Amino acid sequence: MYHQDDVIMNIADKQKSAHYPFVTLILVLAAMTFAGVNDVLGADEPRVELPGDDTDLSLMVGEDIDDAELSAPAFDARKVIVDHVLDTYDWHLFDIGDHHFSIPLPVILLYQGQFHVFSSGRLTTGDGIYRGFRIATEGPRKGRVVRVGDDGITPDLQASTIYDFSITKNVASIFIASVMICLLFVSIGRRYHKGGVYTTPKGLPAFFEPLIVFVRDQIAILAIGPEYRRFMPYLLSVFFFIFFNNLLGLVPVFPGGANVTGNISVTFVLAMFTFFTTHWFANREYWKHMFNMPGVPVFLKLPVPILPVIEVVGALIKPFVLMIRLFANITAGHMVILSLTSLIFVLGSMSLVLGYAISPLSIIFLIFLNFLKILVAFLQAYIFTLFSAFFFGMAVPKASH
Amino acid sequence: MELLMPGLGLIFWMTVAFGCVLYILRKYAWKPILEVLNERENLLANSFKDAKRVEYEMSQLAAVKTEKLAEAEKAREEIIARANKDAEGIVEEAREKAREEARILSENAEEMAKKYKREAMQEIRDQLSALSIDLAEKILKEEFSDKQRNAVYVSKLLDEVALN
Repeated sequence: MYHQDDVIMNIADKQKSAHYPFVTLILVLAAMTFAGVNDVLGADEPRVELPGDDTDLSLMVGEDIDDAELSAPAFDARKVIVDHVLDTYDWHLFDIGDHHFSIPLPVILLYQGQFHVFSSGRLTTGDGIYRGFRIATEGPRKGRVVRVGDDGITPDLQASTIYDFSITKNVASIFIASVMICLLFVSIGRRYHKGGVYTTPKGLPAFFEPLIVFVRDQIAILAIGPEYRRFMPYLLSVFFFIFFNNLLGLVPVFPGGANVTGNISVTFVLAMFTFFTTHWFANREYWKHMFNMPGVPVFLKLPVPILPVIEVVGALIKPFVLMIRLFANITAGHMVILSLTSLIFVLGSMSLVLGYAISPLSIIFLIFLNFLKILVAFLQAYIFTLFSAFFFGMAVPKASH
Repeated sequence: MELLMPGLGLIFWMTVAFGCVLYILRKYAWKPILEVLNERENLLANSFKDAKRVEYEMSQLAAVKTEKLAEAEKAREEIIARANKDAEGIVEEAREKAREEARILSENAEEMAKKYKREAMQEIRDQLSALSIDLAEKILKEEFSDKQRNAVYVSKLLDEVALN
């Protein structure tokens, strides 16, 4: 919550105190990246580890160079970027030297009707095989837990399905964000409950009340109309859930840094919630429009139900688009930031001078992008909520239509 | 491709977590907050309406007040005018009465004076006659001889007295 408030305060106070944090940020990022560049060249001096997205990048660079003996592409930016936006079984914090420091998370597997619960540390340390399970390093299930075959190493492709209910990094991040959101808004709600009509918003309520009113007036009332009231809890919840997780994703250190809203499963669930809410509250007219559109020629409906099929497909595409939009925007943002960071190491692995030369430029762009991502964090939450509201508005059409 | 592969566990936990968030926030956060916001807006709207109504009523009252004031002013002027008129009437009446009384008084006085004068004349006449008789007696006694001259004289005297 502390980090979030900081980020929020950054927006609020941007005008007031823009220079000081800006300069500090540049210096910190510069220190971090230069430390990384030195590492690329195999300097063995003790490295000051700063928490951040790019600290472990530097380590990877070092490893890659060691492995490839400075011949092959030294820095696999693609691998780094994709690994960073994907979900993991443990929560990586930072590295010191060759030591990975990460929080092990519970792995919960349902395999052949039996639950296997153990720490993710079993899969990430040692030979990485525990009770016949391991994390696949390649193949279609790369990065997921698979059954080890008879040889004890390669994945068993014929094994029955593993139902994976592990508390991964993203799941843990969702839990943390959920608890934070609940604590925050329940405390605000209690203040309103106590204060009654004459509650004067001070402190946190003063910050969140305009957002709540914004969701109500600029989203719900605008898109749904007079029947907006019953959709308000969902719209507010989804707005703040996405907004908080977006902002948490921007914080590079624990408990942020997980790419929650840039994960297709998360956006899929959110889109499904919108889909089911739409159809739960849909009235007669909506269903009639879907299966028996009034005012169109009969041959469009019978014997081949062209129009109903189009309508059903449309109803399914709507949540699908919601899912893709949020996922793609947030993931793309993370990727751009990671790419700009990687650029320093890609060039740095070619030549030290190039690495140094590009880093200030890269850092300036990164700062710009981080501010942009704060805007995007709000914007994507707004768009998801607005489009959900539009779909609700279609499900409960106004009387005059 | 891994990016686009939804994971069963994540979907399950996300559904559970978001479901809980939705339930908790709906019950303990959005309900009180939205209620208060709604009530506050109603209160504000009503307050504005009330203020407007009171303002209107005040203006109405002000109009009534000025009207009443004007009426009172008119009434006052009327009363004063009437009072003035009445007062004038009273004064006039009193004057008239006084004049009348004065007239009556003066008439009485005149009459009295006339009466007294008459009485006085009568008395004088009476005394004169007595006196003349007296005188005549004396004259007769003294100048009994010169009868003629005495008579003329007496008559002359009488005339003089009568003229007075």
